[in-house]
Amino acid sequence: MKRSLLVILAAGAGLATVPWLGLPAFYESILYLVLHWIALATSWNLLSGYSGYFSFGHGAFFGIGMYTTATLATRFDIPFLWTLPAAGLVAALFGTLLGAVAFRVQAVRAELFSLLTLAATFVVATLILNTPIDGGPGVYMSAVPVPAIGPTASGTFYLLALAVALATVVAALVVYHSRFGTGLFAIHDDEDVAEVMGVPTFRYKLGAFALSCGLAGVVGGVQALFISYVTTGDTFTIALPLTVVLMAVLGGTRHWAGPIVGATAITLLLYAFTGGDTAIIGKGLTGLVLIVVILFMPEGLLGQALKWWHARRGAGAIAAPAPARAPALATGGPAVSPRPEAGAGEVLLRARGVRKSFKGVQALRGVDLELRRGEILGLLGPNGSGKSTFINVASGHYAVTAGVIEFDGRRISGIPAHRIAHGGMARTYQIPRPFAHLTVLENVALPAMFGAASLDRRSAEAEAWQWLAFTGLTERAGALPGELNLHQRKFLEFARALASRPQVLMLDEVLSGLTPSEIDEAVALIRRIRDQGATIVFVEHVMRAVMALCDRVVIFHRGEVLAEGQPREVMQRPAVVSAYLGQAMAPACAEAAFEAPMPVGIAELSHA
Amino acid sequence: MALPSATLLAQAILAGLFTGALYGLLGLGLSLSWGMLRQINLAHFALAFLGAYLTYELSSRRGVDPLLSLVFIVPLFFALGTALHWVLTRFRVSPFNSLLVTFGVTVIIEALLQWIWTADYRKLESSYAEHKLRLGPLFLPLPELITLGLGVGISIAVWVALRRTDLGKAMRAAAEDAPIAAAFGVNQNALALMLSGLNAALAGVAGVCIALAYTLSPSQIYAWIGVVFAAVMLGGLGRPLGPLIAGCVIGVTEAVTMAVTAPSWAPLVSFSLLMLVLLARPGRVA
Amino acid sequence: MLEVQEIRVAYGQATALWDVSLSIGKGELLCVVGPNSAGKSTLINAIAGLHRVSAGRLVFDGQDISRLAPHRFCGQGIALVPEGRRLFTEMTVRENLEIGSYLGAARRERALSLERVCALFPALVEKLAQPAGSLSGGQQQMVAIGRAMMAKPRLLLLDEPSLGLAPSIVLDMFEAIRRIHADGIAVLLVEQNVSMALEVAQRAAVLEEGRIVAIGRPDQLMARPELRRAYLGLEPDAAPAAASFQPVAQPAAP
Repeated sequence: MKRSLLVILAAGAGLATVPWLGLPAFYESILYLVLHWIALATSWNLLSGYSGYFSFGHGAFFGIGMYTTATLATRFDIPFLWTLPAAGLVAALFGTLLGAVAFRVQAVRAELFSLLTLAATFVVATLILNTPIDGGPGVYMSAVPVPAIGPTASGTFYLLALAVALATVVAALVVYHSRFGTGLFAIHDDEDVAEVMGVPTFRYKLGAFALSCGLAGVVGGVQALFISYVTTGDTFTIALPLTVVLMAVLGGTRHWAGPIVGATAITLLLYAFTGGDTAIIGKGLTGLVLIVVILFMPEGLLGQALKWWHARRGAGAIAAPAPARAPALATGGPAVSPRPEAGAGEVLLRARGVRKSFKGVQALRGVDLELRRGEILGLLGPNGSGKSTFINVASGHYAVTAGVIEFDGRRISGIPAHRIAHGGMARTYQIPRPFAHLTVLENVALPAMFGAASLDRRSAEAEAWQWLAFTGLTERAGALPGELNLHQRKFLEFARALASRPQVLMLDEVLSGLTPSEIDEAVALIRRIRDQGATIVFVEHVMRAVMALCDRVVIFHRGEVLAEGQPREVMQRPAVVSAYLGQAMAPACAEAAFEAPMPVGIAELSHA
Repeated sequence: MALPSATLLAQAILAGLFTGALYGLLGLGLSLSWGMLRQINLAHFALAFLGAYLTYELSSRRGVDPLLSLVFIVPLFFALGTALHWVLTRFRVSPFNSLLVTFGVTVIIEALLQWIWTADYRKLESSYAEHKLRLGPLFLPLPELITLGLGVGISIAVWVALRRTDLGKAMRAAAEDAPIAAAFGVNQNALALMLSGLNAALAGVAGVCIALAYTLSPSQIYAWIGVVFAAVMLGGLGRPLGPLIAGCVIGVTEAVTMAVTAPSWAPLVSFSLLMLVLLARPGRVA
Repeated sequence: MLEVQEIRVAYGQATALWDVSLSIGKGELLCVVGPNSAGKSTLINAIAGLHRVSAGRLVFDGQDISRLAPHRFCGQGIALVPEGRRLFTEMTVRENLEIGSYLGAARRERALSLERVCALFPALVEKLAQPAGSLSGGQQQMVAIGRAMMAKPRLLLLDEPSLGLAPSIVLDMFEAIRRIHADGIAVLLVEQNVSMALEVAQRAAVLEEGRIVAIGRPDQLMARPELRRAYLGLEPDAAPAAASFQPVAQPAAP
């Protein structure tokens, strides 16, 4: 990151000399435009590209900034430069307000958020138009003195635009490399999983939105004086957000520099096609470009280029640090959480009267169970009996309808999932849900950063390497999850769950879909994990694994706990057998003479 | 803020109904596309304007009666809609990306319109515009009446088709659970193509209505987007009568607001409603 | 009537069914039982056309239907009652039944079929105009079966019909299945509730981890230990499970 920062600052310093170079005025004005759009597109990308929440309201906050400057400068005679931070703050404030309301509503994602922000644009425009802020005729800024920063007025505007663009790009760069940025990217790929892994999604989204709006506001402030006549009609249009989206998508939304590429390209393209007929062609061309990019190059120009670059250098080139980590394995693997001698057997998780309903369907009808430290507890039961629902409720993925869950003495039912993760709970998903755009290493490092351990990036990556070695995924560290086979993705789930150094690890049908030999490997892995000191809750159907691993089992049946105890003993109880096999089977099984096990294979008995 | 006379208010309500019918007509295709095909077709508006310009062209250059031009426009747009859908499914475009792709199409169509007809304002001069019916003290311009008639008629026809015909039921089933519908013989791909064609044809019809009553300019495409989206979401996705009813509610509220206060307050109504719906009951929409 | 020949079905990258073969004669009732994630639903979905088979053949009435598009299976005479019902919840009960008879031949006899379904499930008569989503679990299951019957199938596929239903309703449902079978329709029944399944079945197969481990008459299967092992993980005899399970040293690097 330091290198990129130096490059940016150097470029900025170089560009800052332009007003004094004696070039024709044309260069200043086109550079102003490019910088203006770079700032807008980059600030937009901070929220929308990184987190996937495409805002169509960027124009609203740009406009708020414009009008803040216009009002402060003309009504209250505040010097122009002082109005700029105010413009940013006011825009950020409004963004925070809108975000606080919008992000609270779970279902407002993707296209709904886009429409909400679009609607906000028109609401703000109408309010400004009809109140004394504008009132209709617009605001004339010609009386406002232009500060003498550059040799000419146009030079000053150029330098201001440069300053804002630099600030925005640096902000995007810093966020990109920060913990905040990693969290945003995780939200982009799978917000629910990110939350369960400890990312404070609400706070992060709100922060990104406020920052994005604030920066747009400052750009608006500068623009206000530049065009010197501010009206709602020109400001609060749908064209601005759409242009900004186009620029960011063209360049590549997943990279801090993507919008720079896109903004430069589009601005120059449109400029090349100015005047009469060619302008129209230029406009049509931008539409075509957008379509082509979405269909064929969804990563954008920069994203695509980076992909080719990495492919040429060879994938998985991150293997280097691995050997250095090998010594840690000699001690028997990284520590999960210390295994207290005295504490073994104490109750770690307690559920009392837990109920969960979905639209009238009662998935859990009053579940009581206890999990003791250091044990492997199996959750068993027929399809639809509530096992997975229980895991979802305990990890905070769903909220309980009634009842209490306590973890380590503290109540966790009803608190946000990311806090439950901080408390030391981790889980895997039955169908693996890795972050599709993050590498295997990044996938494992994320829970280490945001989970109970809360490590900084360096330590988190070191931790991630250890867990990759533990699960045998070292060589795939640089790959994307889509390139792994099912077995590897399941092990990736393991590594992710372990990387947060949980006290309790909940495994949701990790063995389904695996071949018998892969199952053996997984069982051995789970044993090793328990030996490291973890307490495990194990939802499974593969019976031989259950028998081999579990200290205790709990049988779920129709949303309630039917039986609990030692595996062999519980599975022989008639009530349990009948729950699994049906009423009539219980006596038949109990009486059936035990024969030698049949070899696995098709045993064709005589037809009826 | 002086309260207008009863006549003025009634005329405003009427005007609101007319505008609302157009919102409904424009919103119908959009709503069906989004609700049943999971495609957010921003290009719907551009297509409507293409239809409007074609009507204008046929009428002013070739003297074709605007309503007669429907005969030409409906099949043409049906084909366009099918083609667009084919592209979107072929590339497996996600619902969100369909928003972006269709935005690209919108820009291209806008450029096309500007290229052929320039950015100058165009007004269709037709005999319809001169007729005004009278209902007591109230005026009912013929173009607006035609729009109202078409809007209500088509919405009801679509509603009946979806409710009563086998094809309509198959579409609804496929929209809810395509694999299971296929298990009972419903060919989802064919139905989706048909529906897309229909939606585009609806845009064409809306375009004819726009040409009859409004002055055309390419940049006007964007003026309708916000308000029609509001009507679509308020009316509930995929419900044929939804955009019409919601459109009329919005239209009337806007018109009354305009009559009582000032025209510039009108957008506040629809967009505030939209935001409220999005926040209060987003589930109903997606 | 139906021959499944060594089919292999993949779910994404995992192979769910390995070289599965079975056959159903005209008018026969075959049950497939086995633990969860054994592949029972995958098997029935493959036969219904919802899932592509990646190897092997499906032969129905002498015709190879393996490569047909999903919406063509129904026309062959195969109707599905999916796991979890999967009714069109936004549509009324009557409309759900009508979709069952969407195709030409069945459509012509729609009125007659509707009468038959109502005779089979009298409780549905007064619910015809209600949205399917508002019915109870047992009633929904009846609608799902009725919907499939409207297609006038020669082979009826039932995927875990007892799932989530109270025991008394399960009894009624299996009674209906018996009656359908008595009318001469072949039935493939996938079930978790082994005892009920074996009571109605003429033949049964046990599916475990994607393979068929036993096929035979119900009474023959009841005496076998496969079922106990597959469902309950209990090896017969006193051999403790831990010893029979060989731990592996280290996972091989992928």
